[in-house]
Amino acid sequence: MSVPAAKVSSPASTTSSFSGLMTAPLEFLRRYASWSWLSIPSLLLAWILVATQFESYILPQPWEVLDEAWNEMLFPTQETVMDDDGNIVEIPEEERVTTWRLLSHGELVAAVQHFFRGEIWPHVGWSLLEEVGGFGAAIVFSLIFGFLAGFFKGFREYIVPLNGLFMAIPPIAWAPLMVIIFGLGYTTIVIVIFISAVNPMILTIMEGVLQIQGQEVRAARILGARRWQLLLYVYLPASLPFVTAALRIGFSQAWRALVAAEMIGASVGLGYMVQTAGEVGNSRLVLLGIAMIGLFSYIFERMLFRPIEKRYEVWRLT
Amino acid sequence: MSHIDRVGGEDLVIDSVNFSYGGKLSIFLNLNLNVKPGEFLSIIGPSGCGKTTLLNLLSGFYQPEQGSVRLRGQPIAPEDTHLGYVFQQPTLFPWLSAIENVEFGLRMIGIPSDARRERALKYFHLVGLKGFEDFLVLRLSGGMQQRVSLARSLAMEPTLLLMDEPFGALDAITRETMNDELLRIWDELGQTVLFITHDIDEAVYLSDRIVVCGRPPHGIYKIMENELPRPRSGPNTRTKDLFWQYKKQLIEDIAVVTAQSPQSEEEMRELRLAQHAEVLE
Ligand SMILES: Nc1ncnc2c1ncn2[C@@H]1O[C@H](COP(=O)(O)OP(=O)(O)OP(=O)(O)O)[C@@H](O)[C@H]1O
Ligand SMILES: [Mg+2]
Repeated sequence: MSVPAAKVSSPASTTSSFSGLMTAPLEFLRRYASWSWLSIPSLLLAWILVATQFESYILPQPWEVLDEAWNEMLFPTQETVMDDDGNIVEIPEEERVTTWRLLSHGELVAAVQHFFRGEIWPHVGWSLLEEVGGFGAAIVFSLIFGFLAGFFKGFREYIVPLNGLFMAIPPIAWAPLMVIIFGLGYTTIVIVIFISAVNPMILTIMEGVLQIQGQEVRAARILGARRWQLLLYVYLPASLPFVTAALRIGFSQAWRALVAAEMIGASVGLGYMVQTAGEVGNSRLVLLGIAMIGLFSYIFERMLFRPIEKRYEVWRLT
Repeated sequence: MSHIDRVGGEDLVIDSVNFSYGGKLSIFLNLNLNVKPGEFLSIIGPSGCGKTTLLNLLSGFYQPEQGSVRLRGQPIAPEDTHLGYVFQQPTLFPWLSAIENVEFGLRMIGIPSDARRERALKYFHLVGLKGFEDFLVLRLSGGMQQRVSLARSLAMEPTLLLMDEPFGALDAITRETMNDELLRIWDELGQTVLFITHDIDEAVYLSDRIVVCGRPPHGIYKIMENELPRPRSGPNTRTKDLFWQYKKQLIEDIAVVTAQSPQSEEEMRELRLAQHAEVLE
């Protein structure tokens, strides 16, 4: 009885924190572990295993692709230089800049310059520009036509069959025709992207507007909302969930169509890069291109559009 | 009774109204009903008898094919601010918080934000939701949502309040509490209330008159005066002999209208066609 309570409890608490330490990794696993952790490693493993069966120039290993990325994107080894007279001359082998080590200040500047001289950047840049053009136009059109179709029954009846028709045709099928009309290049690609993105976006927005029209509008009218107030205080906020959903769907449709279209109707861009690299048998560059395509898609879809969509989904539940 | 006539000179008049949702099937044929100012009128009847349709006519969402609906001699539009309507479902605005939902109507009619918040809070607390002001409405229970919806209508301080089974989704206990709250609010504000319910107890407990409606197009089967003294209070009122007498009477009446000639073959076909056409739209 005379033993202070603190002394009794302290060994006990030591034990519990000790056992806590032992179970911590298990606890951590129980809480956070997910089978999704295995998906990408297993894909890599399969790649490595399959690649062992092939020559490196046919199916390179993942690290060889990384090496290619290093060369293409970051620090392409500079092989030529312009002399004082404006002639291109080859740099002797032993003087070429190798950046696979800590850099001095001068080398850092050179490295940054090389970084932007990486051969992949024009492809990435053009692809993104085309995406902005085609997807941007699709946003404007689908907002206008989607809302019109939602509000006016006549227009809806008119546009739905057209929509269905365009959705039934894979957008890439339009590419050869566009090449004939507009030639290789920006316009052709933008039009193909536009066709592929605008139709599902119009449908998504139209269906969203149709869903609003019932009860919420009635409730607002009973509470005294006039026409313009309905637009501002009901249709606008109520449309955010499906407008953001349409953006996400449209973006990914456009990106898919973009890559495919570039393989047919472009002279620059990620799709074109993959295509030409394939033709000359540079499988490393092909795989690098594929990885870049996936990466950009992931960045935009998962890190930009999906979170926006999620934000508005909260009050869409039930 | 003293609470009637407190709001002088207002009268809701339904005058020889015919209505159908297109097609041959009449929902109402020559429907007449006068509602006195400040009266609490309940409407009870089998499902599909046209109760919601009646409220849609009274709120101006639909127009009668013949006859007229007048409040204080004027036709009614949904946007009229002296009209309140609590729907069968809560139909709140999910992008707004609970209190912002209650403020919505006040905002539409341009009440400045301070006064708006104050008035919204008053009714929010009145329906017993204190502490839930900033909740997203989808995070509230069904019963709480229905109370937000009620507060939203009350905050407009309408002189005519239409309520379509507002407490249908509530459990018996909450429902009785809400009944008392509603009577208290009604006593304070003195608006005219048209109250649809499936619950006989509720109808008897609340109303001055009870309308029993028959299958379309029979319209009103019977109007029962309710002489139970006010103020009414839970056990006291519910155990009165008169309460049980009315209840018995209503049970019998409802049995009669439920057994009423079911719609003829012809009418049923019309009805199915009409519904089919709507689905196709
Ligand atoms: N929008 C509509 N279009 C066509 N017919 C309708 C429509 N709404 C209701 N009806 C028909 O009108 C009749 C009355 O319907 P109403 O909704 O008024 O019934 P109710 O008495 O409110 O029923 P409940 O108690 O189930 O809510 C029903 O036969 C129904 O099928
Ligand atoms: Mg109904």
